[in-house]
Amino acid sequence: MDYSVNINVFQGPFDLLFHLIEKKEIDIYDIPMAEITDQYLEYLKQMFQFNMNVASEFIFMASTLIEIKSYMLLPQKETEEDPRQELVTKLLEYKLFKDVSEELKKFEDESSFYISKPREEMALTSDVKTEQLSLNEINIYELYNVYLSLIKRQNFKIEEKEKFKVYRENYRVKDCMDDITKKIKKFGKVSLFSIFKEKESISKEYIITLFLAVLELSNKQGMKIYQDNTYSDIIIVGS
Amino acid sequence: MNIKSVLESLMFAWGEPLSINEISKILNLPAHSITQILKEMMEDFNNNEARGLIIQRFGNSYQLTTKKENYEYIQCLLQNTVNKSLSTAAMEILSIIAYKQPVTKVEIELIRGVKCSQVVKGLLDKGLIREAGRLDKPGRPTIYATTDEFLRHFGLSSIDELPSLGNILENGEEKKAT
Repeated sequence: MDYSVNINVFQGPFDLLFHLIEKKEIDIYDIPMAEITDQYLEYLKQMFQFNMNVASEFIFMASTLIEIKSYMLLPQKETEEDPRQELVTKLLEYKLFKDVSEELKKFEDESSFYISKPREEMALTSDVKTEQLSLNEINIYELYNVYLSLIKRQNFKIEEKEKFKVYRENYRVKDCMDDITKKIKKFGKVSLFSIFKEKESISKEYIITLFLAVLELSNKQGMKIYQDNTYSDIIIVGS
Repeated sequence: MNIKSVLESLMFAWGEPLSINEISKILNLPAHSITQILKEMMEDFNNNEARGLIIQRFGNSYQLTTKKENYEYIQCLLQNTVNKSLSTAAMEILSIIAYKQPVTKVEIELIRGVKCSQVVKGLLDKGLIREAGRLDKPGRPTIYATTDEFLRHFGLSSIDELPSLGNILENGEEKKAT
């Protein structure tokens, strides 16, 4: 399962922070934010340099550190909570469980001194004799013959699967997208209602397809969608 | 029928931890009386210096294992085996589950600051943790708890044998002071 190689790689942002705090012998209840933030960012830079896959969690922690650091620069009222408080609480909780895992490790090491044996492959010897076939001896024709004899058995019914109907698509998202793109090129923007009005009668399928096309356009091609009120006309503007 | 003799044979044949429920079904005896007999047997085995085997309890299961003192001799027979110990991430997540169970993935992730789905799945596959139902909260998240296999892996008779969080906290402080 775990193929990740953990050689001096930190388990997470808290792990890295703790490493930095311990290395500098910093008092965890009074962390110099400017210093620790610089060190943290320096380490992230190194991780990028070694082309390591820096998880988003590490970057999130970097932004948290910078946020706290900038809070510290603002004049603080005495009644206000220390902006570092939440971080320290979390750090201490993580540290606690890191210690717990080291304790557990001791138990794990200790338990390896007791040897037990794996379960035997036990089977009851039944009266019914069955022919044991070694997989090595079977070739594809024998297997085919077994298959045929199985099928020929009277009580062996092969269920007829219900036929699956494939409907032809009347409208395609791609076509609708092209249609809208063309209109936007011509007019700069398009009203969704005006597209509906072009058709004499519109089906539910067409409305859905068109909506999907609009969403797709905003997602893939960065087109902007505007709507003044709920249920009012939707305007699509080119990017 | 000598119950102790049967129990010893059952545990030998099964090899892996054998649950009280299973034994109770086979012998048609109430679980508490089997627990009592096994307790006596554990003492007999442990106190008999001429024996090489002991009975260990892991939660509701019992298993025959070798004695710790004989490990250095058994070692001579062993091949160089791959280290079976768990990864650091797995150990940290197991620690949180062991002390906070039943616990959700989100709670674990809040403490460690990193995603844990992959490792949790690995621990489930190894049988060290189990899904212990769902939390009655939005999203109905799965909650996780440790198993008897967890106890076996760490050589614990019950989860109460783990040191208390308070103790670990104190030790951590002491380490820092020295």
